[in-house]
Amino acid sequence: MSALTREALEAIARQPAAGPAEWIRVQLDTGGIAAGAEAVHQALLHARDMHHHACAVLRAGSVGYSFADPVIEVQAAGMPAVHYGRVTPEMAERVVREHCIQHRLLDNHVIATRQRALALSGPVTHLLIRDTGPESGSKTDFFQFSFGEELKRCGLGERIQVVRALDMGIYDEGLVVQLLPGGVTYANVLAPDVARIVAESVQGGRVVDDLLWKKADRQVRIVLRHCGNVDPDSLDDYLKRAEGYQGLRRALEQTPDQVIAELKVSALRGRGGAGFPTWMKWQLTRAQPATQRYVICNGDEGDPGAFMDRSVLESDPHAVLEGMIIAGYAMGASKGYFYIRAEYPRAVERMERAIQAARERGLLGADILGSGFSFDAKIRLGAGAFVCGEETALIASIEGRRGSPTPRPPYPSVRGLWGMPTAINNVETLACVPAILLKGGAWFAGFGTTTSKGTKVFAVTGKVRNAQLVEVPMGTTLREIIYDVCGGVFENREIKAVQTGGPSGGVIPVKHLDTPVSYETLQQLGSIMGSGGMLVMDKTDSMVEVAKFYLKFCVDESCGKCAPCRIGGYQLLQILDRISRGRGSASDLAQIQRICLAMQRASLCGLGQTAPNPVLSTLRYFGEEYQAFIEGGPSYARKVSRAATAASGAAPAAPPRAAPDPRGPVAATGTNPAAVGGTVS
Amino acid sequence: MTAVEGSSRTSELARQDESALLDLLQELEKRHGFVPRQVSEEISRLVEVKLERLRRIQGKLDSTIRRDVQQHVAQWRNEEGNLIMILHAIQNQHGYVPREVAMELSRELGVKLARIYEVITFYHYFKLQPPGAHTVTVCNGTACYLKGSGELLNELRTQLGISEGQTTADRQFHLDVVRCIGCCGMAPAIVVDGRTCGHVKPSDIAGHVAAVKAKTGGAK
Repeated sequence: MSALTREALEAIARQPAAGPAEWIRVQLDTGGIAAGAEAVHQALLHARDMHHHACAVLRAGSVGYSFADPVIEVQAAGMPAVHYGRVTPEMAERVVREHCIQHRLLDNHVIATRQRALALSGPVTHLLIRDTGPESGSKTDFFQFSFGEELKRCGLGERIQVVRALDMGIYDEGLVVQLLPGGVTYANVLAPDVARIVAESVQGGRVVDDLLWKKADRQVRIVLRHCGNVDPDSLDDYLKRAEGYQGLRRALEQTPDQVIAELKVSALRGRGGAGFPTWMKWQLTRAQPATQRYVICNGDEGDPGAFMDRSVLESDPHAVLEGMIIAGYAMGASKGYFYIRAEYPRAVERMERAIQAARERGLLGADILGSGFSFDAKIRLGAGAFVCGEETALIASIEGRRGSPTPRPPYPSVRGLWGMPTAINNVETLACVPAILLKGGAWFAGFGTTTSKGTKVFAVTGKVRNAQLVEVPMGTTLREIIYDVCGGVFENREIKAVQTGGPSGGVIPVKHLDTPVSYETLQQLGSIMGSGGMLVMDKTDSMVEVAKFYLKFCVDESCGKCAPCRIGGYQLLQILDRISRGRGSASDLAQIQRICLAMQRASLCGLGQTAPNPVLSTLRYFGEEYQAFIEGGPSYARKVSRAATAASGAAPAAPPRAAPDPRGPVAATGTNPAAVGGTVS
Repeated sequence: MTAVEGSSRTSELARQDESALLDLLQELEKRHGFVPRQVSEEISRLVEVKLERLRRIQGKLDSTIRRDVQQHVAQWRNEEGNLIMILHAIQNQHGYVPREVAMELSRELGVKLARIYEVITFYHYFKLQPPGAHTVTVCNGTACYLKGSGELLNELRTQLGISEGQTTADRQFHLDVVRCIGCCGMAPAIVVDGRTCGHVKPSDIAGHVAAVKAKTGGAK
């Protein structure tokens, strides 16, 4: 394969290639494959060969609908693209025959969470309906029937299909109807409105204004812009359909200083958690006199409960690679390393292929696009050490040593990998860079708050109805993310708290749910932005247990180099364990505060400094729970434990239960006064 | 037992194994008060043969290990900081890092064995014990924890009779707990022989275990 030239890239940019008119994209990321996407892919290929050769069956990354894996996207000629969730291999034949050939959608699998319009774009062909009311889904059948009857009465029964959807991205708003194509959406539709919608919108082509759902989709996708749309294993797909490497072309047309200036305008801050301005990091690295500089992409996503980086690496590896090359150009580095967890074999594999393909086309190597700039990238595997997310420890690990952090300063931008200036950027940060170069820093800075610009990807999981990847502009409130995008808490239970930032973060109680998300606001609440894990907890989760879970994680992961973290963490865990068994004493809480302070002040690296965060924030917002355990004594702890067992036994149909730890008791629904008190305060 | 008898039994046993030979020697000594010269000569000859055979096998093993290690090292020879990547390659090959391989690697790289073990023991991913034929991994990421991974682990402990990090006596099952496999959307999740199963309930565990056992039975 010949090397790409700048002219060739320009030609591609001027004339984006048209893909096949009909296609089915199967989202093959780790989550999808775990749910059976490979089998679906095979079945679709088979069905395609049997019935409809014109339709291409393609591979793609994940768009982020984790709750509905495996997900496919179907584009039939003359129809809008439709996402199907919870697809089974048995459905493959129906997808090909009914959707691709007969243009009839399949019931109960359509996901239509994001496209919404305020005006009709053409004659209606399909109605998507879903009852999002309290007994979710119960009235869907009824409305499907009444819409069908009404359409039949008007003589449209043949032409327009009424489809039950799996998810509409609107929750607790009664019956939701979406008109395809276009995506005009009506919410809170009642039985008398059926005739009105059919007469006005379907026949008359007018929008029924009082039912119209005007709230735009909260998500803005910058990092995830290509996830689910491009084949992660195909450089051509990325080049032709996703403006691939155009950001790099723009960067190479400018001087490195101009690139950094553009980043400065965008005000992009590190997405790994600390939020250090990216342009400044690059500037500092660039300013160091050195023969060799390095760029490192930190893909050691160690936070339990976070999977943004994995998803981006698996779904859009070229965007991250492009970001890294731009970073290398901006700071005068000629070598880059991807540090990826060995636990993400698929991400490693896809990145390897991306690097290989880029090298073959001259996007890596000497004299990239004729600019005289040379850069090469390599992969290094992590080996399961959370502390390696810390910059200095990560560098030690790439150098092939054990991942112990070293004191800073000197910062890596001064003395990093093999003593050379090094910039370490998160996967998400690098994925933003090509988009910034392409669309301008000002465009990026147009999203977000005054101090935190742009968008942030969150992996919303836990007791949430639709666990998924969400990308929202900074400044979106937690409530909007959890209720508007993800559909609130499972089985309409009450939300108790949200945990952000993983083991280094804190717990945010329900009373602060209206806080707009930004680096500063989360810090004020005693948590951190972190890399973007967002765990939703409901009333059945005991905060003492949660604090213990995170602390245990940090104690296990402590590298043992400095005493505050090694000893402090262990002592803290002992006290928490004592309290959760009902054997705590009144002086324990003061002792916890003292140890936490010592760890925060005296630990060598971020792990030790932030390890007390989950403990301190639960103590701050849910102090009554600790108090209840201390005052109640062992009998109380046993009661809580028994009640938890009873609660989980009473509702065997409910999949998410209070998570009992074999060694300790667990708070239970309703019977735990502390849990109830948590929201009152 | 006469001396001739002894020597014929010796040659017979020597073919089998050494501990039996030792037993025989002890028995002869107990009976005669000494080991007859005829027998001891025979033994010394046989043992030499046996040792030679052992050395030969050992040499063969050593050379395969050396060849493998040299291959891995050659692949990463010109890379700085290659130790972790080589260890990954070794673990991918053997399923763990055997001591002999680590020693050979130390010779090959010119790195002290202690340095290599420092790295192996620091990272959770590297294992020093051979894995079982089948691995069951419970994800204990926060999402899985909240949705009941503890119950799954308890169930597995009961079913398999081992706790996490252990292998069953028949080396069939290895039970592990990992931090997070990144499949939080389908929590709680377990990984059975590389296949991820989501939304697992404690009542499903028996089925998964039985399926693996059935697979083994079929293979035999």
